[in-house]
Amino acid sequence: MFTDKIELKDFDKMDPEYKDLLGHVLTIQADCEIGGPHLYVETMLPAAPTKLDQLIVARTAAEEIDHFRKIARVAGDIGVDVSFVLSQPNEKRFVDSFRGLITTWEDNAVFGFLIDRVGRYQLEEFYDCSYLPLQRILPDIVTEELGHIEYGYNKTLELIVSGDEGKAKAQKAVDCWYVRALDMFGRADSKKSERYRHWGLKRRTNQQAREDYMNEVGPILKQIGLTVPDPNKGRRYM
Amino acid sequence: MPQAVPNTEKLDEHLLEVVRALHGAVKQGVSHKEDPKIMDKAIHDSKDILDVIMAGNVKEWLN
Repeated sequence: MFTDKIELKDFDKMDPEYKDLLGHVLTIQADCEIGGPHLYVETMLPAAPTKLDQLIVARTAAEEIDHFRKIARVAGDIGVDVSFVLSQPNEKRFVDSFRGLITTWEDNAVFGFLIDRVGRYQLEEFYDCSYLPLQRILPDIVTEELGHIEYGYNKTLELIVSGDEGKAKAQKAVDCWYVRALDMFGRADSKKSERYRHWGLKRRTNQQAREDYMNEVGPILKQIGLTVPDPNKGRRYM
Repeated sequence: MPQAVPNTEKLDEHLLEVVRALHGAVKQGVSHKEDPKIMDKAIHDSKDILDVIMAGNVKEWLN
């Protein structure tokens, strides 16, 4: 297990596998950061229920663009160009959850509640990671992601307390996004996941992170009166 | 030191300006919640900025 801490100036000395893995994970992270706004800006900025919600949609997008910027800088400094993801069509996004469009307010709310939470988990994988320039940009990004999760949770809760129709909409959105969220952690037997851990770039296996997520989200869903979807139904990556 | 991607710094600076402009527009609207006209203008300004980013014409931004 690799335990050294690497600065930009040390990067050239690193094993090619380390360079490849770091470049790959930064590219996926950049794609996910900008992939969010591409899912909801076009549809939700004009359609959010209040003017304040419209502005919060814009602020959320601004923060995700800033996250992209920070990741792109770390990647660009090691010679990895991630700018192509800025113009990538949604259907070509690396992660399934970022393909398509969000067309309903309940999906937008649950996306923040469940999918931004996966984003937080993915970022937390880099806590204390071996590449220090990546580690340094995390605190501000994670703080903003926590805001997105809280906003998504509050908007989901608003739907639930609005009555049976709102609760049914929230449950339907949860049924859709929960399974996608679980898939975002990747395959349980992923060899690449082991190599990330070997090089100190990630902390947990895909399955450990997924189980931690399920243990966190399940009780919240029950507490707000929703049913936890079957974690094995409709999954693409087990 | 590794060879950085050309325009890394330029893209970083451009996006930082965009993010600041967006936050400025949002702040203007949020701080005038009682004034629908100012809110509408803030939403309109935010949309204009975001439309450019969503179009993703990176080469245009950096020229």
